[in-house]
Amino acid sequence: MLERAKSKFLVKWYFILPAIIFFIIMIIFPMIWALRLSFFNWHAILGPKMNFIGLGNFYDILKDERFWEDLAFTLFYVGMVVIIELFLGLGLASLLNRKFRFRNFFRIIYLLPMTAPPIAVAALWRMFLQPDLGVINKLLVAVGLPLVKWTTDPGIARISLVIVDVWQWTPFMLLALLAALQSMPQEIYDAAVVDGASPGQTFLHITLPLLSPIITTLILLRAIDAFKLFEYTYGITGGGPAGKTESLSYYIYLRGLSYFDMGYASALSWVFLLIVLGICLFVLKIMRREMR
Amino acid sequence: MKKRLIGLTIVVTLIIGVFSFSAIAKTTLNILATKPQSAMIDNFGSEWEEISGVKINKIEVPYPVIFDKVMTDFITGTGAFDAICVCAGWMGDFVGGGWIMSLDELMEKYGYPEWEDTAPAIQKVVNWAGKTYALPFDGDCHNFYWRKDALENPVYQVKFEKEYGYRYNIPPKTWEEVKDIAKFFNGWDWDNDGEIEHGIEFIAKRKTQAQWSLMDVAAQYTVLRGKTDKYHGVLFFDPETMEPLINTPGWIEGMKMLQELAKHGPPGLLSYGYSENRITFVKGTCAMVFDWGDIGVMEQDPEKYGSTVKGLVGYSALPGASKVWDREKDKWLYQYNQINFLDFGGWVWIIPKTSKNPDQAYKFITFATNPERSLLEVIGEAYCGANPWRLSHFTDLDGWIDAGWGKESAAGYLEAIQSILEDPEAALDLRIPGTNEYYDYLDLYLSKALAGEMTAEDACKKISEIWENITKKYGRKRQLDLYRESLGLKPLE
Repeated sequence: MLERAKSKFLVKWYFILPAIIFFIIMIIFPMIWALRLSFFNWHAILGPKMNFIGLGNFYDILKDERFWEDLAFTLFYVGMVVIIELFLGLGLASLLNRKFRFRNFFRIIYLLPMTAPPIAVAALWRMFLQPDLGVINKLLVAVGLPLVKWTTDPGIARISLVIVDVWQWTPFMLLALLAALQSMPQEIYDAAVVDGASPGQTFLHITLPLLSPIITTLILLRAIDAFKLFEYTYGITGGGPAGKTESLSYYIYLRGLSYFDMGYASALSWVFLLIVLGICLFVLKIMRREMR
Repeated sequence: MKKRLIGLTIVVTLIIGVFSFSAIAKTTLNILATKPQSAMIDNFGSEWEEISGVKINKIEVPYPVIFDKVMTDFITGTGAFDAICVCAGWMGDFVGGGWIMSLDELMEKYGYPEWEDTAPAIQKVVNWAGKTYALPFDGDCHNFYWRKDALENPVYQVKFEKEYGYRYNIPPKTWEEVKDIAKFFNGWDWDNDGEIEHGIEFIAKRKTQAQWSLMDVAAQYTVLRGKTDKYHGVLFFDPETMEPLINTPGWIEGMKMLQELAKHGPPGLLSYGYSENRITFVKGTCAMVFDWGDIGVMEQDPEKYGSTVKGLVGYSALPGASKVWDREKDKWLYQYNQINFLDFGGWVWIIPKTSKNPDQAYKFITFATNPERSLLEVIGEAYCGANPWRLSHFTDLDGWIDAGWGKESAAGYLEAIQSILEDPEAALDLRIPGTNEYYDYLDLYLSKALAGEMTAEDACKKISEIWENITKKYGRKRQLDLYRESLGLKPLE
């Protein structure tokens, strides 16, 4: 009996062992390796020699203007895209939750941007947004409006990247919120109608509270994904103009895989990870408190 | 029946075995390049495969990631590539890090097709401390292009003289003159095609090599002609102290001039990478442009590039400046100064130390870049982003005309490039470890200056501070030694 239980126990482990090994090799080991590297000065271009500098890289990060500028832009970007996509997604989901002709057609159309690889989206929008040659400005001029410096004005270029993200990722919000709306019990709404609740009251006091758990999850998922902004910066603006659209991920990439300053890039990665983790925990705490 | 079946099985097995063996035995050359340089493999790879029996595996990556890809391969020791087409400016990283082979031995063993036919500047570019580390492929330097139908129009010349009080030179002699001409031709339809044209354009977008636009201008105010020493022929660092020169009045003046020029270009200039720069110019939207030789090739091919300006373009070396900063005397010298600068240094072929087939790689590259084939490459018939670099490319005018070039255009284009590549005092691009990092910060702060976020003085000061830090990180002594080596100077005592 004992033997059988033991072998049953082992079988379970055999099944999850590959996943554990994969997790250790692909996630835990690189993280620890990167943490170790962050205490060294290592310019890989010059060969394998590494110099231990303790917390030197972290101290340099505190004084690194570019890091703070890129962090500020990344936070601005994440805040903007998450809020806009949430509200747009919610609006569109409510709309598509109603019955009307061609509803399924619109549901599919809205999902299309999400299926494209972000780097291809970046290449496409780079052409659309080009101030002199792009189709958007050509259209604006055709209807008598002035040219917009989509990618050459430092302020507008930031908004341009937000627009691209909203175009591609609002469907993600829409999809999840639509699924949540469709799974809501109809009886509650019937009861609200009987009690004389207006559509606005129904939305505020029934729909929104019921959607809160999924909204929290969606905000976190989108925020984590948006923090990793790379493709749009890389493909549309290259971080310009004036470095105003350079995201922290892009900076880490340049440090690591363009300058091959591996120690500093590792330190930046760890700082970035801690910032994202901290912000996500903070948001989660607030959302939970609100939900209670 | 059974015997037949066994016999058939044996025959089939043998055939499969022979094919498999021959497939395994066939050497494969793994060649890494970006576009359009990779087209060299498309153009001549199959011919070489037939002659040599060697299979070529082309690995193509976009320009912004090729350096990363190469360095990652070197650092990890993967040895995935037998030959790589790289920017000559990265030689400092490759030679300094000891990642690539000296090719002298292979050159001696197999010979090199017409080494004397290689332009002197190009021989300098592939050389490091007396050894050859790369095979030439491209004669890179920035040229100055102008629309003849605009600048050479007598009515416009008179109008300009009235407005500015002098008659401009053709080609413009100084950047000050270029600024006035750009201002004059900006924002009106001077070619009567119903569209508004602009004065000047250049590569200005972040991360698309805009730093070279600045160097074209700054070199004229910074580099004193003469045999390379502490005060002559250097653009980037003091070759005795490794102190950055970018915060000197010459560079600041160059950056201010570029800011001025940007005011007389298309509204979206800051989003112009090399593609936009070239395409718009050959579509006829601007009076002047400065860029590599590719514009000439594109201008001559309306079918492929939509050029509307074939035969309407003039070519020259870069304009100079009316003054130059003398660091020795710490003052401006008010004299004409014109410097030819080998921007980028050209695309060259290197063979990594980890290459599994260095001999075959060498043979293929020399096959594809011999005088006949390289001519086809530079005239655009087998276009792969290469500009003239062999002396014979400049003399074989008929080859260019046969390829569809106008006689006048071909002669002007070749004369402009030849004057640069044959200049013994042409300034070399930066070639030390960390060039990518030095240049990225230069590009970043240039972008800030062009966007009006910083003054030229502040941007140059900031770049200088950052360059100092980079030098310290890499080790001043080591960087200084390599910088001197890259300039062909002897080590300091």
